[in-house]
Amino acid sequence: MATFSERMAPVLILWLAVCLSGTWAVDKGNFKTCDQSAFCKRQRALKPGESPYRALLETMELTNTRLTLQLINDNNKVRLLLELYRLQGNITRVKINELKPLKPRYEVPDVLVREPPTEPLSLLSQDENGVVLALGAESQRVIVSARPFRLDIMEGRDVLMSLNSRGLLAFEHLRMRKDTQADPEAEKKDEADSANQAETTKEEEEKAEDGMWEETFKSHSDSKPNGPSAVSLDFSLPGVEHVYGIPEHADTLRLKTTDNGDPYRLYNLDVFQYELYNPMALYGAVPVMLAHNAKRTTGIFWLNAAETWVDISSNTAGKTVFGKMLDYVQGSSETPQTDVRWISESGIIDVFIMLGPTPKDVFSQYASLTGTQSFPPLASLGYHQCRWNYNDQEDVQAVDAGFDEHDIPYDFIWLDIEHTDGKRYFTWDPHKFATPKEMLQGIMDKKRKMVAIVDPHIKVDSNYKIHNEIRSRGFYIKNKDGGDYEGWCWPGSAGYPDFTRADMRAWWASMFSYDQYEGSMENLYTWNDMNEPSVFNGPEVTMHKDAVHGAWEHRDVHNLYGFYVQMATTEGLIQRSGGVERPFVLTRAFFAGSQRYGAVWTGDNAAEWDHLKISIPMCLSLGLVGISFCGADVGGFFKSPSTELLVRWYQTGAYQPFFRAHAHLDTPRREPWLFGPENTALIREAVRQRYTFLPYWYQQFYHTYRSGEPVMRPLWVEYPQDPATFALDDEFLIGQDLLVHPVTEEGARGVTAYLPGKDEVWYDVHTFQKHNGAQNLYIPVTMSSIPVFQRGGSIIPRKLRVRRSSTCMEHDPYTLYVALNPKRTAEGELYIDDGHTFNYEKKEFIHRKLSFINNSLTSINLAPDAQFTTRSWIERVVILGASKPSKVTLKTADGQESLIEFDFDASMSVLTLRKPSMNVGDDWTVVLQ
Amino acid sequence: MRFYIIIAAIFWCGSVDSRKVRGISSSYKRFYRERKSFLCIDGSKIIPFEQVNDDYCDCEDGSDEPGTSACPRGRFYCTNLGFRPHYIPSSRVNDGICDCCDASDEYNSHAHCQNTCWNLGQRERAYVEGQMRTLDEGLRLKQQLIEEGVLLWREKQAQLRELQQVAEDLQIKLEEHRRRKHEADQLKEQTLKELQAGDSGLRHQNNTVTGIFQLLDSNKDGSITVDEVKAKVVLVHDEERVLSENEALGLLGGGHQMDVTKFQHTLWGVLTRGDSVKIKDAHGAQGTLVGEDPYLMAADRAAEWMATKLKKVEEAYETVNMEISDLQKKLAIDYGTDWEFLFLNGQCYKLKVYEYTYTLCPFNQVTQKNTAGTEVSLGVWGMWAGTPKNLYNQMIYESGEPCWQGGSRSTTVTLTCGTETALRSAKEPSKCQYIMDFQTPVACQPVLKQRGIHSEL
Repeated sequence: MATFSERMAPVLILWLAVCLSGTWAVDKGNFKTCDQSAFCKRQRALKPGESPYRALLETMELTNTRLTLQLINDNNKVRLLLELYRLQGNITRVKINELKPLKPRYEVPDVLVREPPTEPLSLLSQDENGVVLALGAESQRVIVSARPFRLDIMEGRDVLMSLNSRGLLAFEHLRMRKDTQADPEAEKKDEADSANQAETTKEEEEKAEDGMWEETFKSHSDSKPNGPSAVSLDFSLPGVEHVYGIPEHADTLRLKTTDNGDPYRLYNLDVFQYELYNPMALYGAVPVMLAHNAKRTTGIFWLNAAETWVDISSNTAGKTVFGKMLDYVQGSSETPQTDVRWISESGIIDVFIMLGPTPKDVFSQYASLTGTQSFPPLASLGYHQCRWNYNDQEDVQAVDAGFDEHDIPYDFIWLDIEHTDGKRYFTWDPHKFATPKEMLQGIMDKKRKMVAIVDPHIKVDSNYKIHNEIRSRGFYIKNKDGGDYEGWCWPGSAGYPDFTRADMRAWWASMFSYDQYEGSMENLYTWNDMNEPSVFNGPEVTMHKDAVHGAWEHRDVHNLYGFYVQMATTEGLIQRSGGVERPFVLTRAFFAGSQRYGAVWTGDNAAEWDHLKISIPMCLSLGLVGISFCGADVGGFFKSPSTELLVRWYQTGAYQPFFRAHAHLDTPRREPWLFGPENTALIREAVRQRYTFLPYWYQQFYHTYRSGEPVMRPLWVEYPQDPATFALDDEFLIGQDLLVHPVTEEGARGVTAYLPGKDEVWYDVHTFQKHNGAQNLYIPVTMSSIPVFQRGGSIIPRKLRVRRSSTCMEHDPYTLYVALNPKRTAEGELYIDDGHTFNYEKKEFIHRKLSFINNSLTSINLAPDAQFTTRSWIERVVILGASKPSKVTLKTADGQESLIEFDFDASMSVLTLRKPSMNVGDDWTVVLQ
Repeated sequence: MRFYIIIAAIFWCGSVDSRKVRGISSSYKRFYRERKSFLCIDGSKIIPFEQVNDDYCDCEDGSDEPGTSACPRGRFYCTNLGFRPHYIPSSRVNDGICDCCDASDEYNSHAHCQNTCWNLGQRERAYVEGQMRTLDEGLRLKQQLIEEGVLLWREKQAQLRELQQVAEDLQIKLEEHRRRKHEADQLKEQTLKELQAGDSGLRHQNNTVTGIFQLLDSNKDGSITVDEVKAKVVLVHDEERVLSENEALGLLGGGHQMDVTKFQHTLWGVLTRGDSVKIKDAHGAQGTLVGEDPYLMAADRAAEWMATKLKKVEEAYETVNMEISDLQKKLAIDYGTDWEFLFLNGQCYKLKVYEYTYTLCPFNQVTQKNTAGTEVSLGVWGMWAGTPKNLYNQMIYESGEPCWQGGSRSTTVTLTCGTETALRSAKEPSKCQYIMDFQTPVACQPVLKQRGIHSEL
């Protein structure tokens, strides 16, 4: 309530000072370019050429599970240890560390779900130039060349990937700090004849350029007690022109070459009003890149949590279409190739090469390393209503009632930071939220839920229990001098718990128990924001790299912090129910493996058309690297959307995995009914569409939980041989069967969608109009909806009785949408469980396969050992692309046959079976005659 | 009343034959008479009667499923005997949440709904009665306030007329005084002229010549010297500067001293012309000049008095005009058809919400004060902004303190009927946009009638 500026004045002024100078755009000056990041500048100064590294073949040791080999840098004689593993599922792991580091170098823990199981490597041949090893059963080999050192992974005669082929392997060994007096004198000797002034300048320049033992950025200095420690390696991908992944960036799905600018940066940062289409770092980092061509998909997982930069170059990037054609005609030209280079500030080189060959193989390979998307509670796939802030309990109640009054479903209402007592998380404002349980009960009575924010910065206040406990247990991150690290954030001065500690995480988790978190109830879930971590007065609005986490520097673990915060919070929500209920935790910062803990959103976007547009590639990129539960703030966080933009955003968000509207404190209210009855109706319709598809969404999430395949996926994942799909990021698929082309242009009268698949057909889900695949189709649009198509050959279960919340729809009957392909067949699945517990792990679910072939639609059990009963039945079967039958009979498991009424719409070839009424859990067949 | 409802209930239970058609009101019963077939109410389709309420949506308009959740656009009629009947969307039928107070919407769910209609009805009736009492009382008070408003309006109008009369009188007076001052000034000037130029003034002149001479002759030796001239005479245009030796010599006609006779014919003339040099502290000298002439003194005093009087009248005139324009501004505000809101002008109403105290001064301004005592303007009177039907149920105050992201604070005040005039709530649903609920009898509208609690017959 009232003046935010008054109460938050100190923090705001600081924040403003730190993160903005212009009003409505990111201040790039607050964030480092590669040139301003000493190690990146140093490493990028190395140009491709002959590598100084040589493999010492005589040191090779080959055991059943791994090969080890020493590498020597001929320039400085420092030795490295290379480890090579063949992992189950067609993955090769390459690890490079110093042979004898001065002190241990950081190896990322907790991200891999387990020590990856290995497969035997066998030696094929060896001479003084190198060794050839067989990679498993396929004709894949890895060639280790000795001088200079390089690795080539081959299949048959094709090189799939080469490491250090450009000689950019670099490993800054740990070293003692030299006497600071000695160096300048030596230099003086060298340059005895140069003028004094020039000498001083030179000296200063070198020091600044160097930044090996100290580095300053703006007013912040990084003490770097361990000196230089960067690692770097190059990868060449012959035959590859398309690479994807390495989120989070506000950029196109297909990654761009970085020759003429900065590399893509991975360093979790709270970027105020981020800019689109550039490689700047954002809130999260997943160091995984996918490479794709029509023949093969591969992946590179660079397991390093320090600040990382990724350079991409391509030998075809500069070429025009004509140039490429010319090459083709002349049959000349080199094969296209993409070269990638990874640079990290510290740690080791630990890279997993996922060899595909299909996109789905890569997903499952990556999933075998870092796990899959946690299976969310069904309700969290519904609509979420958020705002900074719902002011008090009365406000919450009024908004809740507004949804009922306007007959718009929703499942979660959210509370941002103002709900707390002075930004002390786990507490409630004593006036505005005096009786939180009463409020939560009111929401529960409607079968709805709430999310309250819990950020990781803890107000330094001796009257605050959480702070006192963390301080007394010594759980805070320390500054370089050994005291508790303090920074500015929402509450003013704040400490940051060391979430890298397992004991800290266990304690944090225990704070979510109902007796500790006062006012919480089972329908209260959690939102972790600001967990990059955001430090308003820190360098680049984050923590000083020389802050200390036990034996490690913040530098080593930075990109893991948010991952750990969400991990601990999720564990807390699981524990509070005794391990029965599924958690729901949203995070802003993330790392590889974050998919195991919940949902992610794209942070503080803006109410602009371009931001709506970028939400598609941003979530697609996250999905490719395992994080399926992704969404963008519907409407845009900063600024106020036009009504048209808001409607279009709802229509898009309804078809993205995490569907939440959110708005900044300073923007006018924008609950769906505030824009006139016409727009209320449009938004209602968008949200209702989402709810009708919830069974499909849920099944997709079950599928990703099992397989690691993205829920929201680029077209090339399903059509890997169709180059027309490779760069598409204005449309996407949900699972295999729904194609969505959002409208992201103001005043659009139509969109051109690419419908993939040469022998496919696609049905407009609104009109049932059939279209052929492998064509660019112009679709006129009105404000009423965006183009969505169901793939011919699919069966999608829906629930058409849209109610107040997903929980209210639990027992509702299903309508099956059977979309026939030209062969007049279709297939689909149906997954049902209780929607909120872990009982599915105990095989309490229904998983059925639905198939339409030879004019019969059959449901068979995919999990005969699973047990679950439901009251839900099938009220309707809609067959698209059907012809008129003479009669329709239903055969149930008990052998009974009955006639089914039907209705046939000849104009659209739609056959509707009326009320077959079988229970969805049963075996049955419907025969058309 | 209760008696009738019981009777009605018994009657209802005993007489209804098409009870199995769930979820319809009596007025729709005619559509659902048991026949072989059912015609969708929109006329789009005929279906067998068994398909009415069979939990499958056949009609586009949802009319075949008034009692189930099957149709997306359907609605379910809660009879709510003892309370208000109303429609709920079909999607709320058997969703596990009790919506109808008679529990009729949850006939096939796990929800354990109690029939709460009777209690609700009683509460509603009590509430409506309370509302009616409030309305009656409010309207009575409003009538008073209207009467008072009319009186106040008349009073203010009279006051305005009075003020205007005063202003007119003052105008006349003002002119009179201006004329008189002009005359006095003229008299004074004339006297001064006569004094300076007239023959009757020779004595004075002599005296004056002697007087000035004596003034200049500091050492009283009967002649004035260069030093004496430098000490007493200054340039008209540069009073600060002491005359130079040569300038003083020039004034003395080249000689080093000058007696009274020579003075009378030379320097005296220069001094009385007064365009190049003058006696230092000329006022004093003139004062002496005037002070010594009783006619001039009288004329001067008269002129000064007239000026003071004129100033007073002018001030009074200005004040009255300001009062008039203030009053006119006030009277230009729309105080409702019967000036019923007039009494609010000049009043202020306070409300404390959490740590803030809000003050609404109708037709003037809205402010917010925090516990530290800092006061922020949430807007100044803008306009009425109610519905076309009732313009006077909403006020807008705008252009308050600026907000840090641009724009300025504003407040929308909704007026509701009550027996007291008081601020009931103050909120900030969006940043810098405040809403208030202001209760007052003058917001009571006679059109507000009890919504029927008629029972289903």
